[in-house]
Amino acid sequence: MMKTETTARTRRTVLALAGTAALLAAASACSSSASSPAGSSKGGSSGTITLTAMDYFTSEPAHSAVGDILNSCAASVGVRITHESVANPQLMPKVLQELSSHTLPDLLMLDNPNLQQIAQTGALTPLDTAGVDLSGYYPSILAAGSYQGKAYGLAPGVNSIALIYNKSMLAAAGIAPPATWAELTTDAKKLTTAQHEGFALSADNDGEGAWQYLPFFWSSGADFANLDSAAAVQSLQLLTGMVSDGSMSKSVVNWAQSDVNDQFIAGKVAMMVNGPWQFPLLNAATSLHYGVAPIPVPAAGDTLKVPLGGEVWTVPVTSTATEQAAGKVLACMNSSANQLSYAKQVGYIPSLESAATQLAASDPSMGPFVAEVATALSRTAEVGTKYPAIATAIETAEQSALTGASSPQSALATAQTTATQGS
Amino acid sequence: MNRSARSWRSTVLALLILAVLLFPVYWMINVSLQKNATSFTTTWFPVHLSLSGYRQALSDQGGHMLVSLIVALGATAISTTVATPAAWALAKFRLPGRGWIIFIALATQMIPGIVIANALYGTYNSLHLLNSLPGLILADASLGIPFSILLMRSFMTAVPGEILDAARVDGAGRLRAFLRIAVPVSRNGIITAALFSFLFAWSDFLFALTLTTTGSVTPITLGIYQYLGAQTEQWSPVMATAVIACAPSAILLVLAQRFIASGITGGAVK
Amino acid sequence: MTHTASPAGHSPASRARRRERAAQWLFLTPALLYMAAFFGYPIIKNIVMSFQDYSISSLYTGAAPFAGLLNYRAIFSSGLFGQLAWNTAVFTVVSLAGQFTIGLVLAVFFARNFPLNGVIRALLLLPWLIPLVASATVWRWMLGQDGVINTMLESLHLAPSTGVQWLASTSVALFAVILVNIWIGIPFNMVILYSGLREIPAEVNEAAALDGVGAITRFRYITWPMLRPVVTVVVVLGFIYTIKVIDIILVITGGGPANASQTLAVESYQLSFRTFLFGQGAAMGNILILISIILALVYLRFNRAALRTEGEL
Repeated sequence: MMKTETTARTRRTVLALAGTAALLAAASACSSSASSPAGSSKGGSSGTITLTAMDYFTSEPAHSAVGDILNSCAASVGVRITHESVANPQLMPKVLQELSSHTLPDLLMLDNPNLQQIAQTGALTPLDTAGVDLSGYYPSILAAGSYQGKAYGLAPGVNSIALIYNKSMLAAAGIAPPATWAELTTDAKKLTTAQHEGFALSADNDGEGAWQYLPFFWSSGADFANLDSAAAVQSLQLLTGMVSDGSMSKSVVNWAQSDVNDQFIAGKVAMMVNGPWQFPLLNAATSLHYGVAPIPVPAAGDTLKVPLGGEVWTVPVTSTATEQAAGKVLACMNSSANQLSYAKQVGYIPSLESAATQLAASDPSMGPFVAEVATALSRTAEVGTKYPAIATAIETAEQSALTGASSPQSALATAQTTATQGS
Repeated sequence: MNRSARSWRSTVLALLILAVLLFPVYWMINVSLQKNATSFTTTWFPVHLSLSGYRQALSDQGGHMLVSLIVALGATAISTTVATPAAWALAKFRLPGRGWIIFIALATQMIPGIVIANALYGTYNSLHLLNSLPGLILADASLGIPFSILLMRSFMTAVPGEILDAARVDGAGRLRAFLRIAVPVSRNGIITAALFSFLFAWSDFLFALTLTTTGSVTPITLGIYQYLGAQTEQWSPVMATAVIACAPSAILLVLAQRFIASGITGGAVK
Repeated sequence: MTHTASPAGHSPASRARRRERAAQWLFLTPALLYMAAFFGYPIIKNIVMSFQDYSISSLYTGAAPFAGLLNYRAIFSSGLFGQLAWNTAVFTVVSLAGQFTIGLVLAVFFARNFPLNGVIRALLLLPWLIPLVASATVWRWMLGQDGVINTMLESLHLAPSTGVQWLASTSVALFAVILVNIWIGIPFNMVILYSGLREIPAEVNEAAALDGVGAITRFRYITWPMLRPVVTVVVVLGFIYTIKVIDIILVITGGGPANASQTLAVESYQLSFRTFLFGQGAAMGNILILISIILALVYLRFNRAALRTEGEL
């Protein structure tokens, strides 16, 4: 009895294995063509070069916006382009792998603070060698895309952050958007009710926390060399003060900029720090009336210093032919017309001064951002490749202070020690 | 009469446990049925039922499900074929150094996945195995092999040696003894191990991400990330994809549980 | 147990024995080759990298100067290591205890026969089957200050009206990720323990029950000893998998706030992929592996007495 059972089972097992083997064979037949490594430019039958482009715009509208520009530029240059997008947190790990196997794509997008690290390796082609014209750009943007004086990356669009506020809530409380820190603290308190908090920003530890804290940090006069200066402590106290007042929720340490935006749209926050890329979502919320104002400065008359955001496109080192072709595509992507079209679709600001002024003229809500971008600071300008470690230290300090785990003073003192001891 | 009342009480208790433990899953399905859900625009029940998330997920991810299926089945086949004899050898044969081999199998599980993935990337690149189904199948099989060996071995050690002796006395060769006696008798262990190999391969994200550079081979774990962009997140399709992605595994598990019968060894030994 | 009865020293017999041995090794060869290729090479590479000054440039150029113990010293002197070790210990021990206990209770409960047993048991596996990005995100929403968990706790008067700061408090964040980790790990434990329980012949238990032995005593003296081998596998593997966890923590708290939920595994990942200090990341990874090895050895040694049955380690 057991014998027949065993035979039946063995037969079933063998059949299953055979079936899987057949599947495997079919599968390998299907995929044998797709085994060439990324980044190699394959010459087509007519000799057209195919370029690969990689970015992290997996969702709309950015994906189509970039895709369309790439395609039209490819057509005008006479090449073909494969556009590949990976999710934001996976871009850098992928770039690192491709660095080690020398299989970087022909056009690579990087978030601007990461450019210096990659340029340092020697894997990128200087843009002047690739034949890209570098005139007419905001100096900070060129600086962000440069390493040791040579430009390696160019951003078709840039952005920064400002104070976005709920017009109805401010009108109901009878106040105008705050311009100084003192006003920000008082207004945030006035705007805090049982239904909504007065102010929110992103204080997470994934890069966005540091990014959003920098306007306050820099405008107070602090800099990366001394994270625990008196000015720095004051800037952090501004934020912790609002938490103790109840005007800002402690949950901000867990919010990314998109979470802050969601809270704002839901009417749970009266003022937020965020950027123009949120406009498509903000505009879609038809019952919401929002306004844009510059981020408050410590005292009237102080200069506002904001960080420069946006992605740069680079030309990794491949072969001369592909580098030249990629350079041409890059130059085309950065034409005035393409920059304006891109900016309008995704809520960015063109990096060409002329195009940016045009945008401000046609769209007043972008005015504050255009003004900011002219003086925005690149995060890596002073500290170069040390920025990631410094950002991490700052975020830890910010979170520590906001959650009440330590005072702003000691938190920043720890940050200074951590940042200076890292190799 | 008393017995069936007690049985139904157990069922009620089981359902309560299910409700508590599966609440997050309910929440996930709730989100997947609403349009443009965020962390708090989600209501307790999907009042305005919208299948748009599912429509988008199905049209975008259908092919990816097939890729996941092929990869997981292939990986399971390889993993089970390689691991079962090894587990048997470690459980029954008195080979020198078997303790070390068991420990090495254990140690492989301690290595962070990212370390393996990064090292594999370089090798796969040189061998032109990137973006290939066989490549991914081989990599995912490695997820299941050490685990299967350890798990099956623990089941197999419980198999009384008398069964094998009886077979050997009857003149069966080693391989036949293995296939005809060992395998059926360790059925529970083998099925459980195969199940886990399938699940490990199906839910693998790291190798899927690392060993594919173009979009030609995309399992569903990677497909989900298509909806998570630089600034916006579309949670309805994400959750809908997650729900859809569970379905094959859930079906497989229900089917497999039927095969895990009780007291397999009872009666086989005279 | 296989006996090859052979008179010592006789050629044909010892040849037969050697052939037997060789054939036995063949059972193991494919597995050994696989493990060497997929695990041996990466671990060696990782060990080497931990002794090098490995930067992004090294990835590209291949040049990485030898740095001796610099990376290890940097890790231990960073001031963060103590907290990382503590967080990791708490995370692993509490997660494992929770997952295993609940998994065992459920496995025992479902070992009985009652209507809908199979269906419910299958459905309980869902937490483990759902892609991690989805389940971790749902939990992140549920644990938010205005999230559903707080709403329920407040209505049951188990929490203050402002709710518990699950993710934004340095004292609670670690337990938030532990909670999620337990939830995800229960099915793994339950399935394996259930399988193990089904292996145990029912007759022994029934005979004891007829003799009037209580349920708990029966479990302790009959079921538990026979379950030991499976329990050992589940606990050791559970420990190893838990200490390696990064996705859950990354999605839910990112290791924060202020490293409150940061573990050695997450720090190792971030050292490499956030601050690009690959040498240090590799070193921390190796420390993690070493801890796993030591603890696994200790546990297995501890268990040796209980496992001294036929064919066991």
